Amino acid sequence: MKKRLSILALSVLFVGCVPAPKPTIGLGTGIGSSTQNSDLEYGRPPRNYASAIRDYFSSRLKHPQGANFQISAPKRAYKRKGLAYGGDVEWKGWLVKADIAEQSRTGRYHSPKPHLVLFSGDQIVEDILGSSHKLITIVDK
Amino acid sequence: MANFNTHFNVAAGASAVVSATLLSMEVVSPQEAVVAFFLGTLGGLLPDVDSPRSTSIKVAFNILSLLMTILIIFVKSSTYSLVEMVVVASLVFVTIRYAFLEFFRKISKHRGMFHSIPVASLWGLVIAIVSQWFFDLNSLVSWVYGFMITLGYFVHLILDEIYSVDLGNRRMKKSSGTALKFGMFKNRQQQIQTIVIYLLIPLLFSIAPDTELVQTALFSKEAWLSFTDIILPYDGKWFFH
Repeated sequence: MKKRLSILALSVLFVGCVPAPKPTIGLGTGIGSSTQNSDLEYGRPPRNYASAIRDYFSSRLKHPQGANFQISAPKRAYKRKGLAYGGDVEWKGWLVKADIAEQSRTGRYHSPKPHLVLFSGDQIVEDILGSSHKLITIVDK
Repeated sequence: MANFNTHFNVAAGASAVVSATLLSMEVVSPQEAVVAFFLGTLGGLLPDVDSPRSTSIKVAFNILSLLMTILIIFVKSSTYSLVEMVVVASLVFVTIRYAFLEFFRKISKHRGMFHSIPVASLWGLVIAIVSQWFFDLNSLVSWVYGFMITLGYFVHLILDEIYSVDLGNRRMKKSSGTALKFGMFKNRQQQIQTIVIYLLIPLLFSIAPDTELVQTALFSKEAWLSFTDIILPYDGKWFFH
């Protein structure tokens, strides 16, 4: 009985940790309807993303004066919630990689830190330190 | 062997120094530094979890059961009713705090593989993985948390080895060499345990967060320069900036 109860409890425990099924993603075959579906899913690419990123970080960096930005082109991507929060897809949109070199408090330049900036339309919804994240999948290679 | 209080105090002291240094080097934010301190202290208690009647095992299982209960509430709060949540949360808590604890007490052996360098590294890896996959933390913070657990763990192992020297009689106690070791090879079971742990490390590395940032932040020339920047006042003024 004790053993059965333990097995039952264990199953309940792990059911909560099972990630949601992967989303089906329209990769865009070049044929009109697929591309349109994909655009509907991810929205249109952000306009003026470079200036949006500079504005966004100007209030978030510790030493924004003299910070150097290297910003790449937007790519379609999606992000899951952490498994502790259910693991569902929480964001689909456009991701821009930005390398930002900031000055330290002594005035010395740090080497550039990579950031993943997530856009929904023209709005930045989140930035993540690092060049990759296990919960983010970049669709455009 | 050092007692619970010694392990707690030394691990807390070491974690305070390291997390404050990381905060000063601008590697972590103040909130992250607090969590790093907590994890380092916890890491200092973890190795004695394999001792069936130790305070560490009770503390560890209390924390683990509470954490898992909170986790299940987070995950199911949007779909479960209050009654369902209370039932499942209670079940999870009781299972971990009592059933798991008893099971763990039966299978663990004090000063077995839990007191070893590869297990210290394994804990760091697991914490880094859980931080990113479960709690959506960035790679740098995930690795810093993993590093802090391993640091606390190492502090514990080193303390145990220091306490295995009988300074009065100038001799080594029987426990010498059983804490800070690379593996156990006396019998077949120990050899299998050691091999499994060494195989787990590269396996876990394959799903671990990206290491690029933590290498730059902690183990690079730049990290050293950042560290030297904060040792003395950079503007030559003491206390009045």
